Amino acid sequence: MRCTRILSSALLVFFLAFTSLAIALTEEENNNIELYERLAPGVVNITSTVMEHDFFLNVIPRKGTGSGSIIDSRGFILTNNHVIGNGKLEVTLANGKKYTAGLMGSDPDTDLAVLKIDAPKESLTVIPMGDSASLKVGQKAMAIGNPFGLGQTLTTGVVSSVGRTMRAENGTLVEDIIQTDASINPGNSGGPLIDSSGKLIGITTAIFSPTGASVGIGFAIPVDTAKRIVNDLIEKGYYSYPFLGATMMNLFPDIAEVLRLPVKAGAMVVETTPGGPADKAGVRGGSRKAQIGNNIISVGGDVVVSVNEVPVPNADTAIREIRKLHPGDKIQLGIVRWDGTSGTVTVTLGEKPRGVRARQP
Amino acid sequence: MHLNLPFGAKGPWAAISILLVFISGVYSSASALTSEEILTIKAYEKVAPSVVNITTQVCEAEFFYCATPSITGSGSGVVLREDGLIITNRHVVSGAQTIRVVLSDGRRLEARITASDPDDDLAVIKVDVGDKPLRAIALGDSDSLRVGQRVLAVGNPFGLGQTLTSGVISMADRTIRDNETVLKNLIQTDAPINPGNSGGALINLDGELVGLCTAILSPTGSSIRIGFALPVKRIKAAAPELMHPWHKITGWVLVILLAAWFLRWVYRNRSRQYDME
Repeated sequence: MRCTRILSSALLVFFLAFTSLAIALTEEENNNIELYERLAPGVVNITSTVMEHDFFLNVIPRKGTGSGSIIDSRGFILTNNHVIGNGKLEVTLANGKKYTAGLMGSDPDTDLAVLKIDAPKESLTVIPMGDSASLKVGQKAMAIGNPFGLGQTLTTGVVSSVGRTMRAENGTLVEDIIQTDASINPGNSGGPLIDSSGKLIGITTAIFSPTGASVGIGFAIPVDTAKRIVNDLIEKGYYSYPFLGATMMNLFPDIAEVLRLPVKAGAMVVETTPGGPADKAGVRGGSRKAQIGNNIISVGGDVVVSVNEVPVPNADTAIREIRKLHPGDKIQLGIVRWDGTSGTVTVTLGEKPRGVRARQP
Repeated sequence: MHLNLPFGAKGPWAAISILLVFISGVYSSASALTSEEILTIKAYEKVAPSVVNITTQVCEAEFFYCATPSITGSGSGVVLREDGLIITNRHVVSGAQTIRVVLSDGRRLEARITASDPDDDLAVIKVDVGDKPLRAIALGDSDSLRVGQRVLAVGNPFGLGQTLTSGVISMADRTIRDNETVLKNLIQTDAPINPGNSGGALINLDGELVGLCTAILSPTGSSIRIGFALPVKRIKAAAPELMHPWHKITGWVLVILLAAWFLRWVYRNRSRQYDME
């Protein structure tokens, strides 16, 4: 009896050991394969076709390709704004079926867009959205996309850095960018960046490269940003950003010292939009030019040192704080003037003027 | 402890078996991260405070005598000692007019070169850390490296800021030749190394320095995943001389002592001659 007990336990232990040994692949490989097989059907290829006239006035189609992720079983696809361009949109599912896509909404400020296709529910694999706030440098990042139009491709790497900022194509600041060393190439744009639990953590958007192809430095828009705006894009076709109507620059301690300002750091207002919210509230922009080092900057404007009592050491932080709010909200700007006086100004935020492509569902 | 299992194991054995199942279950599902990811994250977090970004300004002699700062370069460095001794590549800092170090806590400090070794493309720079000491990196063993082993590169590619890239050891003992210099026994890796990674750390998954990212092979000037790192063995060998550049002084002290002794001998002999006369 005792013998059987020992034997059965030993068998169990062996069984446990063998489940991990029998398969020749490592834990990491299994994870990659499992995720790719599960999620690859949720990644689509997007072709944007623009009709152009050549020298002899013949009509020739010019195609741009990109990638996208299915985010909803109703057929919503999340991609980059720069992928959709101005052309006719066609979406190819992983199973090879092609659909004409409608544009639900786009947001050039975060370089995101949502498309919709009328595909049967069972052919749509949804990529679940994860959380990009808790990302750690060093964790795995997988990109699935359509580099150079080759077709579906998996590349893996690690999260190289988090919290960096980037300028979108129209020059606005995109925050908390995820940097990865997974190979991202032209055509990967709009595709998903996935973590090891199979959740969407970012939308691959840009690369840093002197050559135009991957050098191991790729950037993705964090999924938290996407989560914030996707519903508005689906419902309204756009996302309304709060508008202060002031251009600000970083005030560094060395510049503050040269200008003999009473503060060491903050966001210096360079100019205000006439009639804009900041202008109406009495925030002053720069009045004259000064040369500091080899930069010519506009000085004399107010220095914003806090937004709603949150201290702002630079312009990016100020913009970040304001972005958290909505049009119509009232904010308290703590400002320091050039004559040394300081105080708070209440500004009612406006709505940022939009320049987005019309919705075509 | 009377659990009836279908295969009849009872008592402590049953408990042990269940515990085993439980442990293996928890092990694979407890955290969303794989074990390799956890190792990578820990290794990065361990070395991140010890890797610094370096920006340099080189003023080349020009017609208007350097009215504007001309060329800025970027590189990386690794903290060797808590008091602000940082090792980097010589080509990162050589010829620089000003060297500025950005620490991982955001402090920007001016640095000066204390020693350099052109043979190994190494240089040691010193910053004044004040009352906040830096975190020195742990030095690993580059002799035990195996091809295929995971390595991580931490640096400042293109001046973007601190960046982690990962790869494997592609070859452990490679000799490459630049225009004038020959670098021997380098570690080759496929972790993306770009301009600005120079002088940065190549670490193993234990978070120990195994190499100093030094060169890349590329037709384009940016990473094609063939990067080279100087093994830490060579840094260990060169470090004492670089950290305490006394050998130069020692030579001079010896010469002076010898000269003094010789003069004394000559003088004594002469005075003896006078005595005899």
